[in-house]
Amino acid sequence: MAGSSAVLEDGSLLSRIDKGLLRLETVFALVSGIAVFMLMVLAVWSVGGRKFFGTPLAGYVDWIEFAMPLIAIMGISYTQRNGGHVRMDILIGQLKGRALWAAETFSVVLIFILMLALIWGSWAHFQRSFDFAAPMWSRDSSIDIGLPIWPAKLIVPMAFTVLALRLLLQIWGYGRAFVLGLENPVAVPLVQSAAEQAMAEAEHLDGRD
Amino acid sequence: MDPIEIGLWVSGGLLLMVVLGMRVAFAAAMAGLVGLIWIFWSKKGMQWSELDWALTVAIKTAGQVPHSKVSSQTLSLIPTFILIGFLAYYAGLTRALFEAAKRWIAWLPGGLAVSTVFATAGFAAVSGASVATAAVFARIAIPEMLAIGYNKKFAAGVVAAGGTLASLIPPSAILVIYAIIVEQDVGKLLLAGFIPGAFSAIVYAVLIVGIATIWKSVGPPVSGFTWKQRFASLPAAMPIFAVVIIIIFFVYNPFGDAWGTPTEGGAVGAFIVFLMALYRGMRWAELKDALLETAKLTVMIFTIIWGVLIYVRFLGFADLPGAFADWISGLEASPILILVCILLAYAVLGMFMDAIGMLLLTLPVVYPAVMALNGGEFVSAADSAFGMSGPMCAIWFGILVVKMAEFCLITPPIGLNCFVVAGVRPDLSVQDVFKGVTPFFIADAVTIALLVAFPSIVLWLPSLAG
Amino acid sequence: TEWNASVWGKRRAFTEHVEKIAELVSEKTNGEFTINVSYGGLSKNSDNLDGISIGAFEMAQFCAGYHADKNRAITVLELPFLGVQNLEEEVAVSRAVYAHPAVAKEMAQWNAKMLMTSPMPQYNLVGTGEPRDTLESFDGMRVRATGGLGKAFETVGAVPTSVTSSEAYNAMESGVVDTVAFAQHAHLSFGTINKADWWTANLNPGTVNCPVVVNIDAYEALSDAEKEALDGSVDEALDHYLANYGELLNRWDAVLEEKGVEKVMFTPEVLAEFKSKAADPAREAWIKDMEAQGIPGQELYDLVVKTLEEKRASN
Ligand code: NA
Ligand code: NA
Repeated sequence: MAGSSAVLEDGSLLSRIDKGLLRLETVFALVSGIAVFMLMVLAVWSVGGRKFFGTPLAGYVDWIEFAMPLIAIMGISYTQRNGGHVRMDILIGQLKGRALWAAETFSVVLIFILMLALIWGSWAHFQRSFDFAAPMWSRDSSIDIGLPIWPAKLIVPMAFTVLALRLLLQIWGYGRAFVLGLENPVAVPLVQSAAEQAMAEAEHLDGRD
Repeated sequence: MDPIEIGLWVSGGLLLMVVLGMRVAFAAAMAGLVGLIWIFWSKKGMQWSELDWALTVAIKTAGQVPHSKVSSQTLSLIPTFILIGFLAYYAGLTRALFEAAKRWIAWLPGGLAVSTVFATAGFAAVSGASVATAAVFARIAIPEMLAIGYNKKFAAGVVAAGGTLASLIPPSAILVIYAIIVEQDVGKLLLAGFIPGAFSAIVYAVLIVGIATIWKSVGPPVSGFTWKQRFASLPAAMPIFAVVIIIIFFVYNPFGDAWGTPTEGGAVGAFIVFLMALYRGMRWAELKDALLETAKLTVMIFTIIWGVLIYVRFLGFADLPGAFADWISGLEASPILILVCILLAYAVLGMFMDAIGMLLLTLPVVYPAVMALNGGEFVSAADSAFGMSGPMCAIWFGILVVKMAEFCLITPPIGLNCFVVAGVRPDLSVQDVFKGVTPFFIADAVTIALLVAFPSIVLWLPSLAG
Repeated sequence: TEWNASVWGKRRAFTEHVEKIAELVSEKTNGEFTINVSYGGLSKNSDNLDGISIGAFEMAQFCAGYHADKNRAITVLELPFLGVQNLEEEVAVSRAVYAHPAVAKEMAQWNAKMLMTSPMPQYNLVGTGEPRDTLESFDGMRVRATGGLGKAFETVGAVPTSVTSSEAYNAMESGVVDTVAFAQHAHLSFGTINKADWWTANLNPGTVNCPVVVNIDAYEALSDAEKEALDGSVDEALDHYLANYGELLNRWDAVLEEKGVEKVMFTPEVLAEFKSKAADPAREAWIKDMEAQGIPGQELYDLVVKTLEEKRASN
């Protein structure tokens, strides 16, 4: 759902915080993309090692499972920032002005509450696998080569915390738009007009293949 | 309140949140969390003093799901197959395929749309994820169709429908997921997907030609390519066959000594496409773009996966699947009628659910019921209800279910492919794409009916594999 | 009282004791105390101990080898070449180890209490190609064997290769592995037997240990009659399990014959050599590792050996 919504920017505090957080989110998303790439390299290494050198990669499955939260969850806030998580917009697409901002605010507040609960829950999941007294602080390990699992579990509350910060910004952004009755608020994903979007899209594809 | 009643209320609430425009992944997770709280609390008789306990247990139960459900080797196929799609895009493979298809078959009525269908089918042979296929073709095929005056909605519909072919034609993430859930041979299932996938493409093409013949305004033919131009378009599209052959050798080697597991095959295929993209001049800036795109699409899909799985975890506690199993096995109707009803139920369920979530939720219940309908896991073809042995029935039903799951990728209100096309083409709303894709419901219905009536379309190839 | 029990997969020999105990408990309490067995609906298998710890369900099955760090003490039962020869012996050693205070203490960290084991036969190999019946022939063998078992084969030159159990058949077919270590029921249900040319009848390299536990708070909250019904049903449930698994094992020879699978027998000398190479260093390393963490490794191991001797003497 790339580029489906635009986020406006200006010199205000809100927008500056938005841009700052976006830098962090982009790093997180890139880490996720690089992890996918490494997954591919890992498989080639595993096949090549087995096929040509008789030395298959020990713990191939363990490493994959270890890397999956990195791939699947690290970029969650980046996607939220750009309005990339899918939704039905039949109803909300009909709304305008304050009604729209009220609906958007309500929706992000709900997600924020959900995230607070899931940060707690996923932190507890991490904590059960973590033990300061144990070797490698591990109280949960993988099946084949005994990798400690806590670092992978820690990724979840970490990524969710960044998302919670993003949601706070969006509550602020939408809430401000609602209170002030703004038309084009900054720092929140907006539904663009068709012409603007077509131009953005053309720019994006320019010079590609 | 009894758990099944809670299950129905919470499912209704989920639907409401989705319709009101909450992001689907979070709506599902929210429904699951609320449902878990409710069910744990009702277990303690809804005492105020126990609410604290119920909240804690529910939150901790839900909090396990994101990590534990995404940490799976099977699901690692999904990012790999998305990456392969984007890399193929940067390697110019999508463009080359589309160009070749255009020069060879665009002279038909609705020619560019037919070309798009066959190009997506060709691309499906390297891509394992339907949404990724729809995403890249939305960029390439829709502008070309619009340029010669296609109806915008119809053009978007073609791409959304064509994208679904990626999950039948191997490699296919979702077929692997089916194989894992029902514990069947992954290789044979992937092999079995090939003919029904190609068959679906042909049905789509026939439909488009029919529509374009009746309504001339929908899509004009494109003619005037010389034979020289036609053959000139082939070399650029050739590398795709190299990748296809490698993947086939991994998935099922016709000459015995195969090279690896399907999981590895996907990754090796991606690596070859990566090298090809490097050769075509892809550099860090483009690779970074491809990786970010992959991350975005992967995260979007996985957020839905774990969100739906929190909801599914709640359904597990409510035992809604169990209630369904009892209900099915209590029916007194002919097996084939029950099977058709099950497929119809999938069509309805698929309207509201993500494909993977739907399979994860239902197969543990539905699969044994279908196997039992046929006469059990070890039944011979002669004694069975559907005229096929147990293992063959598993393959047949798998292909039917995956075709249904693909169908649900283009049905409103939660048709992921349509969302993706609308996302890539911001001048189209999701509703536009849903309108454009409507004719393909008919094509899919025809395909499914034929696959049910003539199982040999599915079973011929795997039966050769012994 | 209504309990939920979290197991995984589908109903099979491996879950029959849980089904049986649910049935017995309900019978003995006239339906006052019921246990719903859920196959994967409540938790992922490797999260079952977490679920017990949270209190999401009251009973669960798990295997020690899935996550050794969660349950270090009982991994003694997964050491290679312990010498356990049949399911009755497996029950006896598990029962003794489960009763050890170190095990109870570790399980209490998860708010869990041991109820019974799920005895698994030894993980013998099926393989393709020439039968391997000497230590030298294990050199370069690509074997699907996880955890300590994989390490044991490594000591004789084999290469443990990770594939998930559901990909084992495919891995064998594609030559990713040439041997797979499973219990018999898994060789049947994952189809690896269909690809096999031979099966190691007496290698008996080791097995996994899969206890059934209950949540301590839930257990304490039971009435005396309910506790009595639960605890009093363990033996009968296990007897039912053994009888049921025994039938499967009886069928095994017929399956081998039907599929044309050769039984590979190792000479006592080869077995002894294998043990001294693989088992002794693994055991010593395990004991050292456990003692360093304050778990009485030596004591647990001695307990296994002593229990085995007693069990054999009593027969
Ligand atoms: Na495909
Ligand atoms: Na749908």
